[in-house]
Formats: sequence, structure tokens, C-alpha cells
Amino acid sequence: MIGLQHYLTVSAILFVMGVLGIFINRKNVIIILMSIELILLGVNLNLVAFSAYLHDLVGQIFAMFVLTVAAGEAAIGLAILVIYFRGRGTIAVDDANRMKG
Amino acid sequence: MGYTASFALSLPEIILSFGAIALMLAAAWAGDKASKAISVIAVALLAGAAASLLGPSGSGGVGYDGLYVADGFSAFSKLLIYVSAAIAIIIAPGFFDREGEMRAEFPVLILLSAVGMGMMVSAIDLLSLYVGLELQSLAAYVLASFLRRDGRSAEAGLKYFVLGALASGILLYGISLLYGFSGGTSFHAVAVAMHAGVGTGLLFGLVFVLAGLAFKIAAVPFHMWTPDVYEGSPTPVTAFFASAPKVAAMGLLVRVAIEAMGPAGDEWRQIMIFCALASTILGAVAAIGQTNIKRLMAYSSINNVGFALFGLVPGTAYGASGVLTYMTVYIAMTLGSLLCILQMRDAEGNPVETIASLSGLSRTRPGLAAAFAVFMFSLAGIPPLFGFWPKFMVFDALVDVGMWPLAMIGIATSVIGAFYYLKIVKTIYFDEPSDVRFVPLRSTTEGVLILIAALFVSPLGYFTVPLLGKATLDAATALF
Amino acid sequence: MASVAAQYLPILLFLGVALLLSTAFVVLPIAVARLTGAHKPSTDKLSEYECGFPAFEDSRMQFDVRFYLVAILFIIFDLEAAFLYPWAVSLREIGWTGWLAMMGFLAELLLGFAYAWKKGALEWE
Repeated sequence: MIGLQHYLTVSAILFVMGVLGIFINRKNVIIILMSIELILLGVNLNLVAFSAYLHDLVGQIFAMFVLTVAAGEAAIGLAILVIYFRGRGTIAVDDANRMKG
Repeated sequence: MGYTASFALSLPEIILSFGAIALMLAAAWAGDKASKAISVIAVALLAGAAASLLGPSGSGGVGYDGLYVADGFSAFSKLLIYVSAAIAIIIAPGFFDREGEMRAEFPVLILLSAVGMGMMVSAIDLLSLYVGLELQSLAAYVLASFLRRDGRSAEAGLKYFVLGALASGILLYGISLLYGFSGGTSFHAVAVAMHAGVGTGLLFGLVFVLAGLAFKIAAVPFHMWTPDVYEGSPTPVTAFFASAPKVAAMGLLVRVAIEAMGPAGDEWRQIMIFCALASTILGAVAAIGQTNIKRLMAYSSINNVGFALFGLVPGTAYGASGVLTYMTVYIAMTLGSLLCILQMRDAEGNPVETIASLSGLSRTRPGLAAAFAVFMFSLAGIPPLFGFWPKFMVFDALVDVGMWPLAMIGIATSVIGAFYYLKIVKTIYFDEPSDVRFVPLRSTTEGVLILIAALFVSPLGYFTVPLLGKATLDAATALF
Repeated sequence: MASVAAQYLPILLFLGVALLLSTAFVVLPIAVARLTGAHKPSTDKLSEYECGFPAFEDSRMQFDVRFYLVAILFIIFDLEAAFLYPWAVSLREIGWTGWLAMMGFLAELLLGFAYAWKKGALEWE
């Protein structure tokens, strides 16, 4: 039977994959956006699993909020990426180095 | 509690959000030529929201079924937030007009961010905490990349967005663990669960939540976004980032640490001590080699946040009031410094941002140089100036609970910090003048704001101590 | 374990029925057209058409940036509508307060939409 700990394990794996995706990825900013979504999905899985386990609806409501805020976040991220691309002509992570110190 | 009573509690947020939506539509229909009028109305809305704090929204208690609280702590923080937001709106037109990029949406974004910050300091539930934090952050990402044609601004926005979203993700993961292992999302439920014992799940949740919040206040080791974002953002936006969101995130951190995680004080205290020490030391050491003045202000803010965190370490009402005092004086110092930086323009009107070119400042703009020197001395915490007082308060709070070794280390790091502030004063007054010619002050409003900030951080500021001390202590006792 | 699998049986049946129906909807019009209509293929008719792009091409091509703008607006309005589902199923319990709250939320979305419209975000050219 699939229990709470299985869900927690999957969501922990998703979360770590997302975090590593942000730090290891050196190619493309779009991949960073995907990694952020992966983190938020891991969190959502956690929330829904806890909600079912505790027989408490708040977790599912919270997951709805995370989902919608993540949509807004992705939209703003894409918008910033578009103006960045217009100015720079590239979205490679290694090229984002105009400021150093 | 009925809905009318809840609405009365959140009157500042209601005023600001309705006003922001109306101004957004006005911005779309009237266009950028109305941006002056929209800025004026936005400042009036902030003043109205601040005035509404005198009513039930200043001390009315819990509303919205335990999602939102209006107490002395939230009211004090909101006052600081609204003042900083209003200053950011006031100084923006002068800067953006020169770039030809003043758009009517700027005040609207600041207002929306202010709504989010109000939610942050009033949140007593993990859900309202998250929504408030995101509302503040989403508006801030757009503000950072507001100069669309400037490559540095877009890069600042992108970096702020990526690292801010990562921070939100980490915070959320912690929230999900706290929810799962305490069985509820209210701060009270978390505190009850932590009182019964801090297991592995709750401990992980605590660490992740604090890491996410440390990101938002830019405490070491989660500070790496700050220098790039401060340097790349337009200067009025830098002034905004250095003041209002710092106060909001700090207020949130204090409330979470005391109201939600109070019973786990021993666990979070170690994290706070590490963050405070690392921030003060790294903020001071890394600032020494900087050549860009805005970048230096970023390291200065990291350093100052470290000192403010010292006030949280004892976990007492006196310590928390020290944090509030620190943030009050800090925003006066940092806004004053950034207003001075905003004034530093060469003959062609281009902003001067390298520290080396400040060396002619004391000859061509003696008044500005004097004001900037006052802010630098005050940030360094040199005694006659008012910047010394909050540092004294947080260390006094540490000594009160017998943590005097930590206080000694803190005082030692503040001496390292003093070095680079004094280096700037030396550059301004004693170095060979550079060939940059500074043009005189044009805006009287900015001049008056600089004067007020300089007077507040000068020794005259000690006259406010009885008032400020009582206000912050009242606000801090609301948490206990 | 068996009980869990049994709970999913209706879904399996549903999938089977859906598969049958969809196959029928795809095959039937083609068959009917073949049997009743004229069959005159030409280059224009046979050229593939999907959202203005040739259907078979390297997928790692550059998109027009205008697609991003539409995608950004779509993702927001699409997901905000997700709040309607829990609201709709619990409307009996939450009563007029819930109804008013949702109407306020939708009005706010509408104002955002009006802003995007006025700003010209919905225009292709």
C-alpha cells in the first residue's frame, strides 16, 4: 500500500531535482524556470499528501494558492526573460555576467 | 467575528489595493503623461493607509478567522513600510524622466508591493504569509527590471526573479513540512506542536522556512543576489529594495520566530546567531574591495541586517524592540545615502556610481558631501551619531540575557565595518579631486528629504529616543 | 491491493469507451467523405497546417516572441479560473458570502483583462 512516506519521498526527490536544476544548469534560463516549477510541484505533492493524511482540507486549498501564484510567477519570469533577450540576444546562463564583484 | 469587523481591521490593505487597481486603469487610459498625477495620488493613498492605522486596523486584534492580525507590531511596521514606499514614489519621476522611461505603472507597482508587505507583517497563518510574500515579490521583480532598455536592469530583474523564486520554493517546502507535522497552518497550531516537542519533521520545516526568510532579508549565506540586484536596478528602486521590503521581511521573520516557533527557541537561536555573525562579517569584509557605490550599499545592507538579527537572538520583547528601532534608524540612513547617490550626477547628467570619482564631491557639492558623510558615520555606528543607538540597543538586549560573549564579537565586527564607511569619507574629503564635475541640486523635495534624514541620524535624533523607545517596545510586546 | 485496483475499474471502462468513441469520430467522417464526396487532392489541400507552422520540422526552432506574450496572458487567466472549481462544489455551504467573494475576484480579473486589452497586449500586430 502506498503510504505518506512514499509521497514525501517523491516530493523530496522532486524538490532536490529542482534545486539542483537551478544550480547545476549552465545552459539556458528557460530550464531554470522549469526547475522552479518542479520545486513548486514537489511542494504541492507534499501539501496534498499531508492533507489526505490529516483529513484536513487546508492543505489542498494551500496547493491551489501555490498553483495560481506559480502561474503568476512563471508569467512574470517569462516577461522578464523576453526583455532580457531583446537587450542581450541570448538567454544562456553564463552570459548573465554584466555585473561582477 | 463578522466580515465587517475583519474589513475594518485590514482597512490599510483595502485602501491600497482598491487605489492600486483604480490607478492601474488610469495608467492604461491616461497614459504616461499622467504619471505625475498618479504618483501624487499614490502617495496620498499611502498617507491614507497610514492614517487608517489610528483606527481598529492599528490594534484591533485577529480577523478573517485567524488569518490576519492587526496589532501594535503590524501597525508600527506598516508605518515604516508606507513611509519608505512613499519616498520611493516621490524620488522616482526625477530619475526616470531623465532616462525617458517614466511610466505611470511605477507607483502602481509600489502600491501593490506595499499591500503585500502589509499582509506579510499582519500574517498569523502560513497561508496569508505566503500570499503576502509573493504579492510583494512579484511586484518587486518587475520593478527591478523597470528600465527595459538597460541591459543591467533586465539582468538584475532576472537574477532577482530566479533567486527570489528559489527562496519562495524553499520557504514553501518548509511550510508544507510545518503543516504536515503540526496539523495546521496557523502560527498558533505550529507553536502548539513545537511546544509538544520538536521532531525531525518540524525541525526540517523550521530550517527551510528560516532559510527562505533569510533569503528575503539578504542575510548570509543567502545574500548572493543582493549586490547584483542593487547595482543593476534603477536607483529609486534600489532605495525601495533597501528599505520597505527589508522592514517587511524582518517583521515577518520576528513574528514567525516568536509567535510560531517560540517554543523551539533553542533550535532557531543557533541559526540566527550564525546568520547574524556571518552577515556582519561578510558584509563588512566584502565591502572593502568594492568600486561601485550602489554595490557597496548592498554589502552595507547585508551588514546592517546582521546587526538587526542580533536583536532577535535573545528572543525577548526588549530584543525585538531593538530590531524595530534598528530598522527605523537603518531605513533613515540607507534612504538618505541612496538619495545622496541619486543626486550625484556629472555635467552631462549621467549618474556617477564609482567610488573613486566621488573625490571631488566635497569641493563642488559641499552640502551633499556633508550629508553623505553624516550617513556614512552613522552607518558605521560612531557614537555621537544616532546610528550608534540601535546597535547599542541590540547588544544591550544580548547582555541582558547573559550573552555577553556574543555581544563582544558583534562589537568587534562593527569595528571592521566602520573601516570601509570611513574610507568613503576619506575619498570624499581628502583624496585628490577627480575630473568629474558634479552639477548642483535641482529638486528641492529630494534636498528636503535628505535634510530630514540627516537631521534624524545626527545627534539630534536622540531627542526621539523616548518616543521611539516607547513605540517600539509597545509594538514588540504585542508579540508576546 | 486488489480492492484498490477494483476501485480503478470504472476509470478503465471509461477509458475504453472514450477510445472507441474517439476512434469512431476520427474514422467515420473520413469514411463518409470518401464514399459520398469527390476526391481531388491538390498541393494546397495536402500541405500541413498547424498554428501557422509546418507540422514536421526541427522542434528546436525560434518562436516568435509574440507567442510568449499570449502564453503569459493565457497561463494567468487559465489558472486563476482553477479557483472556480472548489468554489462551485462548496457554494451551498459558503452561501452568499462566498458568491460575493468570487464575484469580487472575477471583477478584479476582469479589470486586469481590461488593462491588458487597453495596453494592446491582445493585438497580434
